[in-house]
Amino acid sequence: MRANFIFSEVWIGLRRNLTMTIAVIITVAVGMAMLGVGLMINAQVGMMTTYWYDKVEVSVFLCTKNSDMPACKGKAVTQAQTQALQKQIEGLPGVEQVFYEDQATAFKNFQEAFSANQPMRDATKVEDMPTSFRVKLANPDNYQPVIQALQGQPGVSQVVNQRDLISQFFTMLDKVRWAALIVAVILVLAAALLIGNTVRLSAFNRRRETGIMRLVGASNLYIQLPFVMEGMIAGLIGGVFAAVMLIVTKVFMFDEVAQYLSSGGAQIGWDDVASVITLTMIIGVVICVLASFVTLRRYLRV
Amino acid sequence: MIHFDNVTKVYANQNRPALDHVSVDVDKGEFVFLVGPSGSGKSTFLRLILKEERPNSGAIHVAGKDLARLSNFKVPHLRRRIGCVFQDFRLLPNKNVYENVAFALEVIGKPRRFIRKVVPEVIELVGLEGKAHRMPDELSGGEQQRVAMARAFVNRPMILLADEPTGNIDPATSIGIMKVLDRINRTGTTVVMATHDAAIVDSMRKRVVELEDGKIVRDQSRGVYGQAY
Repeated sequence: MRANFIFSEVWIGLRRNLTMTIAVIITVAVGMAMLGVGLMINAQVGMMTTYWYDKVEVSVFLCTKNSDMPACKGKAVTQAQTQALQKQIEGLPGVEQVFYEDQATAFKNFQEAFSANQPMRDATKVEDMPTSFRVKLANPDNYQPVIQALQGQPGVSQVVNQRDLISQFFTMLDKVRWAALIVAVILVLAAALLIGNTVRLSAFNRRRETGIMRLVGASNLYIQLPFVMEGMIAGLIGGVFAAVMLIVTKVFMFDEVAQYLSSGGAQIGWDDVASVITLTMIIGVVICVLASFVTLRRYLRV
Repeated sequence: MIHFDNVTKVYANQNRPALDHVSVDVDKGEFVFLVGPSGSGKSTFLRLILKEERPNSGAIHVAGKDLARLSNFKVPHLRRRIGCVFQDFRLLPNKNVYENVAFALEVIGKPRRFIRKVVPEVIELVGLEGKAHRMPDELSGGEQQRVAMARAFVNRPMILLADEPTGNIDPATSIGIMKVLDRINRTGTTVVMATHDAAIVDSMRKRVVELEDGKIVRDQSRGVYGQAY
């Protein structure tokens, strides 16, 4: 086997079909980037799920003076009501811990959470913050009875299960992930067809050479390898572009979003990105090689 | 060397067989002319030897191998033992004489040192010494056919098949081509040549197999093109 010969043939083939090769590279790049984004969202969601579900609590917001929640009837919660509520919550089955969050703590947390949003911070005063009980449950799935027991109690403005808020966000992420994966599948299909066409053109362009090769007894491998390599190299270059896109996505999308959510440790790292890139590259190259082989079987009878 | 036993070939969508119960034996080192009008089955005969086509019935043995039992995987190895020359030369226009001949060895993975040694030898054998770096379009038809013969012979095949090699060449030049074929034949290579060229067949006085409508109507050693009508 003479590598030199094969590579010169591959180079000639790629150059002759330059426009088609570029089309293949772009399609593979975008398709693989979409697939990669889908996989990265998947990893991100998985991480955030464990991170958040560990922390979620049921928040029992108490009435403030000017609360517009109908349950408060415009009156602030009294000291007696607060104490009664604390007793009641501690007595509920499944409750692990109860924290009382006063206005000062709430204000501090608020300032931290909105550290990036200066106007919002400026517009908020300590008195605006509601006091609340943070209820940690032994089993976070078992929140329904707690909410039912506390909803409508005197002094309670609202009972919020944080999990509901998070799952809304997760549902949204899930939709983005599926959209990315569907686009990826469509593009991969388009890439396969394009490669088929490129290889067909290539085989037609070189029918003289392949005819002579057949005649003088070149093995099938020798005849087909240059075409398959063409597909493989196009796939590889497309994969490199996809990798660049994925790195950009990680920096400008995932890192930004993570910062906005201040989710701390629940963020995909570079090792995750690296494995996603490796996977997409392998898939890209394998698809290109398969598409080349299937087309060759039809257009390059040996 | 080539053994046809009751071979029949019918192409799809055609009623009349291209070859009709043909039995022929060609020994090692023989020179055989295959004559007959267009459509009489000469090209089919050659294509069957290369296993480019499969017969509908009958057995073909080439170089001791039963082609029916030869797996597709091994067909390239069969073809390495058979050289081919055509009416239309089939050279690669973007390669020079040397590269065209070397191509046949490169694609079967021969080492470069070997190629450097044998290609000039065979270019000399066909009478093209000094023209190794010409491009095909700088050569006459006869010279192009010599390149094609060099390419067919460079791997020292046991059999050389020539499908009307003088069909595009004027009679004077054809004599030179036949001399090269004769030289190749004298190295021990079996030569089968399909042709319409009566003058050549008559001058060579070799074995003549005549086909008509897919049947062998004459098989004569030291024959001539046409029978005395």
